[in-house]
Amino acid sequence: MVSLDRSGSMPSSDLTRRTLLARITTALGVLIGVALGGSVGRYFLSPAWKLRREGWVETARLSELQESSPVKVNYVQRKQDGWTTTEGLRSVWLLREKDSGVIAFDPRCTHLGCPYRWDDARGEFLCPCHSAVFDRAGKVVSGPPPRPLDRFPVRIERDVIMIIPASAGGNINELK
Amino acid sequence: MNLNDWLDERTGWKTLKKTLLDRNIPKINWWYTLGSITAFLFIMQGVTGIFLAMNYSASPDHAYDSVNYITHEVPAGAFLRGLHAWGASAMVASVLLHMLRVFFMGSYKYPREVIWWTGVVLLLITFGFSFTGYLLPWDQKAYWATVVGTNISTQAPLIGEFIGKIIKGGSDMGTVTLARFFAIHVLVLPAIALAFLLFHFFLVVWHGISAPPERKKEANDEWRR
Repeated sequence: MVSLDRSGSMPSSDLTRRTLLARITTALGVLIGVALGGSVGRYFLSPAWKLRREGWVETARLSELQESSPVKVNYVQRKQDGWTTTEGLRSVWLLREKDSGVIAFDPRCTHLGCPYRWDDARGEFLCPCHSAVFDRAGKVVSGPPPRPLDRFPVRIERDVIMIIPASAGGNINELK
Repeated sequence: MNLNDWLDERTGWKTLKKTLLDRNIPKINWWYTLGSITAFLFIMQGVTGIFLAMNYSASPDHAYDSVNYITHEVPAGAFLRGLHAWGASAMVASVLLHMLRVFFMGSYKYPREVIWWTGVVLLLITFGFSFTGYLLPWDQKAYWATVVGTNISTQAPLIGEFIGKIIKGGSDMGTVTLARFFAIHVLVLPAIALAFLLFHFFLVVWHGISAPPERKKEANDEWRR
């Protein structure tokens, strides 16, 4: 700024009015850019950090689940999908243990998500896609799966077996 | 050699900067910033609009719910939606004030007539944006305002009904109207607006800023060199 240096304390600099205004404009521009860019960034990237809240879903009655081998049970799941709610038929493998606990297996193979089946004769879960084999407890016997079968949280309320159809581990499973 | 010079040799950015930002201008006032304000608002509408469109559903079943989703569920969604809605009003006000400034300062006169004409087209485009955008939330206000607006178009003599049907996408307002308005708002008008804006800006830089009118004959413009 061109100024009369009466005080004598500060030396006059090369800062012109033009440069100062340019810097102020840039500063304001950065402020606006950060406010807008930050908001837009949050908005656009938010799906990466979205927590999927799953609720308890009813599957079958405990009294009807007698077998000591796994049973595939179909149930209806209502899911929040953005601004809509979808209702879909899903399935879960339920295994009643001798001490009256129930295990709910995620029906998707832990390799790449194919739906496996139970082979009673062999007493094993078999996956048709890449020949994975799991034992009764879901442990990998052979094949490419990196971990045992995922399990859903189970809760038994008044004879009704409830599950939360969301498994903790594995990204592939999250694709559903 | 520093980065600026390195880039300048390859892109010529310094010449562009000089042409756009280091222009000689006559002694004017703050009213002359309204053009830039309008341009800024247009860009902001475009950017916020793009991101709103990522979460919007242009069908009567879900339009309202999707806008609700943006406003209540998406982080910063309420802010972006607010910017877009208020920005629309701000832009209309800004473009009208800019037009008034140009008119009262006589900036539309020779050799700047075409700038004025492109400006008129841009004004109509702005109205088009406002009209089509207003319907998109598909709430009561949006729906009935558009019913009234499209019915007004049917009042034109002879071709009124025809025009109404073209705008509505049929005899009644409904699903097709919403889809049509969304396509116009997001695809058609932005493309046309961009074309006219680039021409408008080019001509402004080409002719330079006009001096405010004086009582005497127009002062010489040696200062422009």
